[in-house]
Amino acid sequence: MEVTVKNLKRYYSERLVLDVDDLTMEKGKIIGIIGPNGSGKSTLLNIIAGLDEGYSGRVRYDEQPIDKEIYKEMTIVFQKPYLFRRKVYENIEYPLKIRGIKRAEIDERVEKIIERFEIEDLRDKKAHLLSGGESQKVSLARALIFEPKLLLLDEPTSNIDPESIKIMEREIVRFNEETGGTVIIVTHNMEQSDRLCDDIVYLEEGKVGH
Amino acid sequence: MDYIFEGFKEALKLLTTFNREIYGIVSLSLIVSTTATIIASLICIPIGIHFGIKNFRGKRAFSRILYTFMSIPSVIVGLMVAIILSRKGPFGRFDLLYTPKAMIIAQTLLVTPLILGLTYSLSKNRAKEIENIGITLGGSKKDIIILIIKELRLDLMVNVVTAFSRAISEVGAVMIVGGNIKYRTRVITTTISMMKSMGDYPTAIALGLVLLIISFAINSVIYSYSGED
Ligand SMILES: Nc1ncnc2c1ncn2[C@@H]1O[C@H](COP(=O)(O)OP(=O)(O)OP(=O)(O)O)[C@@H](O)[C@H]1O
Ligand SMILES: [Mg+2]
Repeated sequence: MEVTVKNLKRYYSERLVLDVDDLTMEKGKIIGIIGPNGSGKSTLLNIIAGLDEGYSGRVRYDEQPIDKEIYKEMTIVFQKPYLFRRKVYENIEYPLKIRGIKRAEIDERVEKIIERFEIEDLRDKKAHLLSGGESQKVSLARALIFEPKLLLLDEPTSNIDPESIKIMEREIVRFNEETGGTVIIVTHNMEQSDRLCDDIVYLEEGKVGH
Repeated sequence: MDYIFEGFKEALKLLTTFNREIYGIVSLSLIVSTTATIIASLICIPIGIHFGIKNFRGKRAFSRILYTFMSIPSVIVGLMVAIILSRKGPFGRFDLLYTPKAMIIAQTLLVTPLILGLTYSLSKNRAKEIENIGITLGGSKKDIIILIIKELRLDLMVNVVTAFSRAISEVGAVMIVGGNIKYRTRVITTTISMMKSMGDYPTAIALGLVLLIISFAINSVIYSYSGED
């Protein structure tokens, strides 16, 4: 899915925290968003995710305004992940369950992603008792399981050990290559953006810089 | 002082000998208050969540009105229901006044604002985050309400128990619409207040003990549930 943003402004009280004239994020690419703390990265991602409607301007998905179908085809992994108070397995299967997919297929897909993420030891644990890094992994797996057309990631590897970062990056790239899904990833890690991204957007004080 | 001790002894005897009248009274109390709480919960929990996560004009005023109704005196609810159900009232032809059904209606109305308000304030604070995850994973409105109920189940259960406690311990509404008729509409609280005025302390104490045991049992269940997590 291609995302275009035009004349986007987001105010908090009187303060302009996001001011993007024109930005296109092409279909099938991995786009990095970088910038200092408070520069508006999470704000931009939440607006694209359709969770923040307090903005002016235009956001389009393959030239369409947001609607129910688009909500079903994109997802965001938050900076602070929230997992449901149930087992890890049940967290990951949730997006497939609400889409009415058959039990056998759900099991097959969940098993596969658990194996790819190398989190077999977590599968029957209660998700709200996981560590920060474990939660981020599960949260990414839950987002990838339904193969969205647009994947928004807000610092998905900020708490993660080097070994697990490798796994997560590998899975993000695999998702992008195998399904052609667009990925927009906020990161503070320049090496990570070099490794993963086709394009980089630099934000500073709410504006796109160079 | 002796009569207190005697009262307790007599009360224990009543309970351990399974006095028919006492057990009838206790089970009617349980039936009326449980039914009322269940009906009110089924209706008010989804509605409370809906308003809790929705942004609408006048949300503040809505909260204030709701919170006021949460502590509505039970005699007022009793009076309202009695007026509606009385012979000449709009529902008079159903002949419900002074029946257990009337008591269920009154207690349902009594705990409705309580469950609605508690659910509303819980979801206003906690459900937004869950809603966002639901939206983001592709859930419909219905999926999201179900998700929120499941996520907040422990807190919701505590709210339901709070409502049940209010229902089973109130006396005003059931007295007015039930009339405290022997073997028909007599419940724990109306009996206690009658026995006390008749000077029958043992029965009053026995029923008071039962009320305490019920609260204790329910709270233990809730506590063990939340402890398990
Ligand atoms: N709900 C809010 N109310 C008021 N101000 C807010 C709110 N959310 C964000 N802001 C402000 O908007 C600005 C941008 O915040 P945002 O979270 O988008 O930054 P960020 O680039 O993601 O930062 P970080 O790198 O720390 O995650 C910040 O100055 C922040 O204080
Ligand atoms: Mg941020």
